[in-house]
Amino acid sequence: MTFLAHAGGLLGRSDLPIPEWLFGWAAAMVLVISFVALAVLWPEPKLERDSWRPLPGAIGRLLASRPVEILCGAIGVALLAVVVYTGLRGTQSPAANFAPTFVFVIFWLGLVPLSVLFGDVFRAFNPWRAIGRAVGWVAGKAARSGLPAPLAYPERLGHWPAAAGLFAFVALELVRSNGDKPETVAIAALVYSALTFIAMALYGVETWIARGEAFSVYFNLFSRIAPFETRGRVVGLRRPLAGLAALKAGAGTVPLLAVMIGSVTFDGASEAPIWTGIAPDIARFFEDVGLSPQAAFELTFLLGLTAAILLVYGFYRLGAVGAKSVGGGFSAEQLSRAFAHSLVPIALAYVAAHYFTYLLFRGQAIVFLASDPLGDGSNLFGTSTSQIDYSLIGATATWYWQVGFVVAGHVAGLTLAHDRALALYDDAKLAVRSQYWMLAVMVGFTSLALWLLSQANT
Amino acid sequence: MSTSGRIALVVAALAVAVAAFLIARPGDDEDSKPAAETAPAQTEAQTETETAAEAAPPPRPEVTRIRIEGGQVAGGPKTIEAQQGDTVRIVVSSDAPDELHLHGYDITREAGPGRPARFRFKANAEGAFELESHTAEDAGNDPLVARLLIGPS
Repeated sequence: MTFLAHAGGLLGRSDLPIPEWLFGWAAAMVLVISFVALAVLWPEPKLERDSWRPLPGAIGRLLASRPVEILCGAIGVALLAVVVYTGLRGTQSPAANFAPTFVFVIFWLGLVPLSVLFGDVFRAFNPWRAIGRAVGWVAGKAARSGLPAPLAYPERLGHWPAAAGLFAFVALELVRSNGDKPETVAIAALVYSALTFIAMALYGVETWIARGEAFSVYFNLFSRIAPFETRGRVVGLRRPLAGLAALKAGAGTVPLLAVMIGSVTFDGASEAPIWTGIAPDIARFFEDVGLSPQAAFELTFLLGLTAAILLVYGFYRLGAVGAKSVGGGFSAEQLSRAFAHSLVPIALAYVAAHYFTYLLFRGQAIVFLASDPLGDGSNLFGTSTSQIDYSLIGATATWYWQVGFVVAGHVAGLTLAHDRALALYDDAKLAVRSQYWMLAVMVGFTSLALWLLSQANT
Repeated sequence: MSTSGRIALVVAALAVAVAAFLIARPGDDEDSKPAAETAPAQTEAQTETETAAEAAPPPRPEVTRIRIEGGQVAGGPKTIEAQQGDTVRIVVSSDAPDELHLHGYDITREAGPGRPARFRFKANAEGAFELESHTAEDAGNDPLVARLLIGPS
C-alpha cells in the first residue's frame, strides 16, 4: 500500500520482506504439501454434499430473526451516513478523518476475517440491502395494485457488474492520486449508492445483492469458507469450505477473482523493484506525450493494475486449457468455471498475507477517529488521544503469519480443486490428470504470493 | 492407499517440514555465540582503557546524513537499516525550509538552510517506516526522503 502512504497517508508501518531462508522453505513446503495431498486426499467427493444443520437451540433462529435484521441494517445505514457526512464536512487530511480509515481499513479489510470466521456478516449490515428492502416494503404497501415484477437478470451479465465494481474500488484505492481524500471517498460512496439503488429497482434487491453488488459478492465469496450459513430465518452449521463447493460460477466469476488476486498482486509488486524500477519511465513517457504529471502517474498505475489482473486471469485460463487437454469432453470455459471456487482461498491468502499488519495497525486508528471523526478536536467517547501501537507484533511473527496464510490458502485451494475434479470426471484417472494442471496453477499463484512477500519494501 | 498409510505419509511430511524449518532457520545459537565471545573481550578492553585512566566513550550510534537540494534528495531516497533496540540518528539538511515526518514513530522535525533536522530515537517497533518531506508532498512531488528498515534484533 505504498500508494496510500505517498498520497499523504494512512500508513505508518509497512512490512519487511520475508527472509530468503523462509521464502525457500515455504516454497519447498508448498511442493511437498501438494504431492502429499494428491496421495492422501479422499477418493470420493465430500464437500459437494450438503451438510447444513440448524444451530442447536433458539440461537440460530434468534440471530436471523427480523428484529436483529432490522437492527443490523440500521447500524449499516447509520455508518454509511457517517462516512458521507464526515467525508464531506470533516478535515480533508485522510489520516485525521473518519471516512477513509473506516472505508479502506475497517470495512474493506476488517470484514474479510469476520466473513471467513462467522459467515456472511456483511449481508446483515449491508446498508444498500437494508434501504432497498425498506423502500420496497413501503412502496409495496403504498401501491394499490402491487409493484411491477423486476426484470429478469440476464445470465450473461453474471458476476460482471461485481467485477467492474471491485475494479473501480481498487482503482480508487491504488490508482487515483487522491483516492483516500475524505471528500473523494464520500462522493464515491454516494455515486455507488445511487447506481446500486437503480440496479436494485431494475432487477430486484436480493438478485442484485447476490449477483451484481460488488461488496456483497466479494464478502459473500469469503463467507463461503465459514462454517456458518443462514437459510431462511435460521443460522446453521456446515462443513468449512462447503459453501464454496456450492458456488454457482457463471459469466464474470473468474474475471472477478482475477480482479481480487490481481489487485493485491499489483499492490504488492508496486512496492518492489520490479515496479518501482519501470514506473517512472512509463510515467515520463506519458508526460512526454502531453499528459500532466498527475494524469501520467495515474495512467501508469492503471496500466500496472490492469496488467496484473490480466496476467492472473491468463495464467488461470492456461491451467483450464491444460486440464481440457486430458480429455473428458469439457470445454476450457466449462473447466475454468468449474474450478473457479478453488481460487477463493488463494485470493484470501493474498489479502491476508498482504494486509494483515495494515489492518492490525491502521485499524487501531478507528479508536481515536471514532471520538474525533471530523478531525476538529472533538472527543465524543474520550478516546481521541489514543495512539497506534506499532510494536504490537514483531517482524518475525509477522513473517510466520504471512507464510502461514499463504500455505493454508494453498492447501484449501488444492482440497477444493481435488473435490471438484472427483465430482466432475467419471473416470478417476482423468480426475487425477486434470488435477496436475490445477496443481500447477495453484503452485504458481502461491509461489507468486511468497515472492511478493519477499519483495516487500526492498 | 490405506488410512494408516495416509496418516504415516502426512506424519512423515510434517516431520520433513519441521526438520527443514529447524535447519533453514538461522539458529539463535549462531547469533548469540559471537556476542558471547566478544563480550568478555570488550570488558577486558574496557578495564585496560580504564586503567589507562581514559574512560572509553560509549559507542555512538552511526549517523545517517541526508541532503535535500532544490526539493530533491541528493542521490535519491536513502535506505537506513537498523535492528530493534538500536538508537537511530538521522540528520537531514535542506537548502530550503522543510518539515520532515517519520511515519510510525510519528516524529516531525523542521529543517532549513543552516539548521538541519535532527532525529534521534530508539527503534522499538520493527518494520518498514518512511521518512517524508511535507514540503515535497504539498508541492505534489515524491515526498520519500528515506526508508527505515528495522529488523528483529
